[in-house]
Amino acid sequence: MSYRWVEHTAELEMEIEAPTEEGVFVDALLALAELLGDDGRGASVLREIAIGGRERAALLVEWLDELVYIAETEDLVPEDAVRIELSDGGLAATVRCRRGSPRHLIKAATYHRLAFAPGGNGFRATVVLDV
Amino acid sequence: MSDVAQVGVRGFRQLDDVVWELGADARADMRVPARVFADRELIGQIAADRSLEQLQNVATLPGITGAALAMPDIHQGYGFPVGGVAATELPDGIVSPGGVGYDINCGVRLLALPLTVGELGGRTEALVHDISLRVPVGAGRGGALKLKGLAFDRVLVQGPRILLGEHGIGTQEDVEHTESEGCLEGGDPATVSERARVRGADQLGTLGSGNHFLELQRVAKVLAPRAAEAFGLGEEQVTVLIHSGSRGFGHQVCSDYVRAMDAVQAGYHISLPDRELACAPLSSPEGQRYLAAMACAANFAWGNRAVLAHRVRESVARILGPRVAERTRQVYDVAHNVAKLETHAGRTLCVHRKGATRAFPAGSPEIPSAFRGVGQPVFIPGSMGTSSFVLVGLAEAMERSFGTTCHGAGRRMSRTGARKKITGAELRRQLEAQGIVVRCPSNRGLAEEAPFAYKDVERVVAVVEKAGLAGRVAQLMPLGVVKG
Repeated sequence: MSYRWVEHTAELEMEIEAPTEEGVFVDALLALAELLGDDGRGASVLREIAIGGRERAALLVEWLDELVYIAETEDLVPEDAVRIELSDGGLAATVRCRRGSPRHLIKAATYHRLAFAPGGNGFRATVVLDV
Repeated sequence: MSDVAQVGVRGFRQLDDVVWELGADARADMRVPARVFADRELIGQIAADRSLEQLQNVATLPGITGAALAMPDIHQGYGFPVGGVAATELPDGIVSPGGVGYDINCGVRLLALPLTVGELGGRTEALVHDISLRVPVGAGRGGALKLKGLAFDRVLVQGPRILLGEHGIGTQEDVEHTESEGCLEGGDPATVSERARVRGADQLGTLGSGNHFLELQRVAKVLAPRAAEAFGLGEEQVTVLIHSGSRGFGHQVCSDYVRAMDAVQAGYHISLPDRELACAPLSSPEGQRYLAAMACAANFAWGNRAVLAHRVRESVARILGPRVAERTRQVYDVAHNVAKLETHAGRTLCVHRKGATRAFPAGSPEIPSAFRGVGQPVFIPGSMGTSSFVLVGLAEAMERSFGTTCHGAGRRMSRTGARKKITGAELRRQLEAQGIVVRCPSNRGLAEEAPFAYKDVERVVAVVEKAGLAGRVAQLMPLGVVKG
């Protein structure tokens, strides 16, 4: 895991550093799982996710919003990305989730201070979540 | 006049005891000044995060008029600061979904029970507990009103009025005692995505998480007897304050339109200092579609609070008797996050209120006839365990803030910071030691909303009163709280 929470008065600012672009998306999922997770032990479920779009920063926002959406509408807590493929056309992933009672804490991922660029030992990204 | 460099914002000047301003010439891209209502203590707290930078960013929006305004409870948000107000002028001024926020029409509703704390007696815990069983919190959905298809769409277009007519929820007086009578005109379900519908389908009548809550209170002090009488409030009376919004439905509407506007703004030659300020001219197809979808979300939120109030009345009926429930009145319901077309000084403006409350004065045709002699009720929740206030809109608000005042105490500490200072279990013990009944399934969520994470609500309210935006009517103290 290579994410951390940056101090923000009201919202949650996620900062990620990963060796690859795919790694940024995996770490974003793990960060979200920390927020949404409960102590339950529901059934494991695999969910396919496909998002169109070329720009990595916007794709990261949509990725997080998709995970929030399945948590809110299907009670699925994301646990890990079994597969993530990035291309010029977008993102395709298989996400392992667990059925539970995820907190309805995250309203959305925002474009505020949104960043995704080469840096550190690979790539760095910042995204602010509205809570 | 003094320079406020010591609070870290060079150029902000103190215009009077409670107004600070940064001129439009402070940054090449600012179109109007940035103005903050705060006393010296609060401006210091405000300057500690990015609020003032965000306010300056708002001052760059095309079509903004007057000034980018900040209420004393302002804090750092995303794009707009929370506690920000921006009025844009038709037809080419912009509308910004981020200027309303994800929780469209997050707001508060105050119910007044026809009894005093003395008459409530030892039934406080039973009442709070019963409410906690009926009102879904966090991820809970049991108790929500599940509507589909056209029945769902009618709520999006008409708000609580249709819930009264078709489902027997609420009263005619509830509808009339709601900002805009609980219905923003122009709601068009065709402008709402399927994802928003799916998220909202089972969320009417759910409280949600974060800073949303439902609080049982007593009127600790009446500060303006004439207005209190008009609002139907007396000392020691029991009240219920409901704070929630448009839930996942509104969140999705905002996400959809931030993206839509992000994609087209270059075509309108709009350049922004922050991508989350994504916007489009009010007269553009994107602007018009957003206004129609936002109206749906605002009406959904008023419907949500109407169902929540209905559940409270069910609990009142069960614990205190049906007669008490029948005589439980809705004082008023106000929106905190919304963009509305209003007339100010003869001009039609789109007033974005993001974490701010409309506060129209006596005589306004926009407020219920019962309050027209005193002004619009405004409710300012404090942090858990502290006072909340009932205020009334004052005439000066129309001149100074587009008829707007603050919306709460305003955060001053991050959620992580709050959790480092106290555990949920300890906070629960502290609140219970004060005699406050707590029903919150999440210790983490409880700790994040610790009272010290917020500004001093009494100081915030004193500022808006001194600025002439709203006057104090009554102070409310908590008896019990239900949180997600």
